[in-house]
Amino acid sequence: MLTKDEFIRPLAHHRKNEIVITSMGMVRPWAKHSDHILDFAVADSAMGHAADFALGVALARPHQTVICLNGDGSMLMNLGTLVTIAQSGAENLVLFVIQNECYEITGNQPVPGATQIDYVLLAHGAGIRRAYFFDDPQVYSASLPDLLHGTGPVLAAVRVEAGNEKPLHRSQAEPARYLRPSLAESAHSFREILSKQDEPDIVSS
Amino acid sequence: MQAQVLLSELRSNLVSHVIGLPDNASAALFSLLNSKEEPRLLTVTREGEAFAIASGLWVGGKNPIVLVQNTGLLESGDGLRGTIIRMQIPIVCLVTYRGYSTIAKAGLTPVRGSVSPEFLSRPDLDSVALMTEPTLKAWGLSYDFLLKPEDRYKVSAAFNQAKALSQPAVLLIPGELTSG
Repeated sequence: MLTKDEFIRPLAHHRKNEIVITSMGMVRPWAKHSDHILDFAVADSAMGHAADFALGVALARPHQTVICLNGDGSMLMNLGTLVTIAQSGAENLVLFVIQNECYEITGNQPVPGATQIDYVLLAHGAGIRRAYFFDDPQVYSASLPDLLHGTGPVLAAVRVEAGNEKPLHRSQAEPARYLRPSLAESAHSFREILSKQDEPDIVSS
Repeated sequence: MQAQVLLSELRSNLVSHVIGLPDNASAALFSLLNSKEEPRLLTVTREGEAFAIASGLWVGGKNPIVLVQNTGLLESGDGLRGTIIRMQIPIVCLVTYRGYSTIAKAGLTPVRGSVSPEFLSRPDLDSVALMTEPTLKAWGLSYDFLLKPEDRYKVSAAFNQAKALSQPAVLLIPGELTSG
């Protein structure tokens, strides 16, 4: 099993100009390592809809890799999306399923089938050919370049220890800039940022 | 309304993607979309997905619409609330109005007021039709009807309204789209 830090730090290190979409218990931990203009949090929204939102972004921007950090509780709410992802032909989507086996935001209650679910098998069954499971930090870290740069869609289930994250409140108290505005402001400004990505000489922060 | 007419309206409004799930009323449009490159059709496994995918497409710079049945609209509840409504995304949603004829025949259109368990259990009424407009109102979604071919102008009007208000706009389709 990985710690959150062992999961996030190498991913933040390997991430260049990929879009990163976070949800639920991964929002603040990722924001501690990254305050990039291409970070977006599907939080204060609808649980279970980060992966399909990320699919939409990936379909809109086929030449840019989209990374989604989704929890296992969120994934279970919307397993049909795995089929939609597979049939969509989105080759630029990398979907991480963070297997902490619980609903962390609400007090770590176990998700249904917590220790029995095989997301690789589910992904393969849905038609996602590139699906992997990691519970060793070294193997995971060494695999990241291939995960991020190969042809997708990719599903990577990573066993990560549970923490005690609380819900996002989108206020000035949030450390990362992109977590402070309302979800609507954040969505509209992110669209603007992405449209500027298409212009030459984009400067990333 | 002919599916081809509706498709022409979608094209003239530069729709990039149609995200949805077919039913009998929208079958002719799905059939047309399946045979065309543009706009691109993506069929989902459950309607709530459609609103999230469309939101992501819009954030990514595209101009998608959602096409679902009113049953799927009800199924979508939190997905719709938490994505296009919460994000104030100006997306047009085409919603086929299953059961409209049953409530029209009973003199219950336009639907007004609260819906009682007595009405919702009546076998001659399709309960989803009774719930559709009150639900849209409860969610604060503006809507209009595509009842006849002359209503085609409402498609552009819905796009304009969605953009002006930065909110989703719904067009209800009470009849079956024809392939002729």
